[in-house]
Amino acid sequence: MKAWLIPFFLGAGTGVLSAWGVGGGTLLLLCMTLFLGVEQAEAQGINLLYFLPTAAASLLYHRKNGYLNTAALKAAAPAGTVCALAAAWVSSSVDLAILRKPFGVFLLYAAVSMLLPKREKKTHA
Amino acid sequence: MSPTPPWISAPTARALRSSPDPVSPPQGGEVHKYRVAGALAGVVNGLFGGGGGIPLLVLLTRWAKLDAKESFATCVAVILPLCAVSAAVLLLRGGFPLSHALPYLAGGLVGGVIGGRLFRDVPNLWLRRVFALFLLYGAWRYLT
Repeated sequence: MKAWLIPFFLGAGTGVLSAWGVGGGTLLLLCMTLFLGVEQAEAQGINLLYFLPTAAASLLYHRKNGYLNTAALKAAAPAGTVCALAAAWVSSSVDLAILRKPFGVFLLYAAVSMLLPKREKKTHA
Repeated sequence: MSPTPPWISAPTARALRSSPDPVSPPQGGEVHKYRVAGALAGVVNGLFGGGGGIPLLVLLTRWAKLDAKESFATCVAVILPLCAVSAAVLLLRGGFPLSHALPYLAGGLVGGVIGGRLFRDVPNLWLRRVFALFLLYGAWRYLT
């Protein structure tokens, strides 16, 4: 029973963050590998599967509350799915080590961009 | 949004306020930006096995100028099919102990419902700060 409880509550806690789109999966992955002794490959698989019910449940509310931008969704989702498949296919023949540093720099930029106050538009239509 | 003129009745004003997207610009001309953002999310997800939501969110908020909350929610929706495809590949390859994943999935379902209900009331600043925290962690992982 206890073996169930900790993963359940961990999934519920990170699920709130995943529903908000702010990185719950990263936290779950970290907790699994650091504290629960789950192996990296298995943790990644669990993380992937975990996102499906979590995101689906949250999307019911996001849709109800009018937060989904259908134009963006319709354009981005197919493009993303095709590119993800293509990238996954070539990833085994690409030296990913070269990409680590640029991606890290991008993450740093993204973090700063999120922390800086957003410039509000002064003129309102 | 402009203040409601006095000649608009209260119910109409409420309807206008609750219309889906008062902040974002007209959607027609932005489609190519959404496509590029989605494509980049796919490339990152495919190459690094995750993290596609990051370029997606940055491009949707900074480039396509979508409202922050709308961007976070739409990101979840765009990443879902990418994860579904990856999960399908994983399961087809087999050898994955599904029973180990079940408690996390059940917890995630509950968390997703709670998060979905709370989302409306979470200040955007919090969303951005929590997200930035994970970005900094990721940057540290990739740069060191």
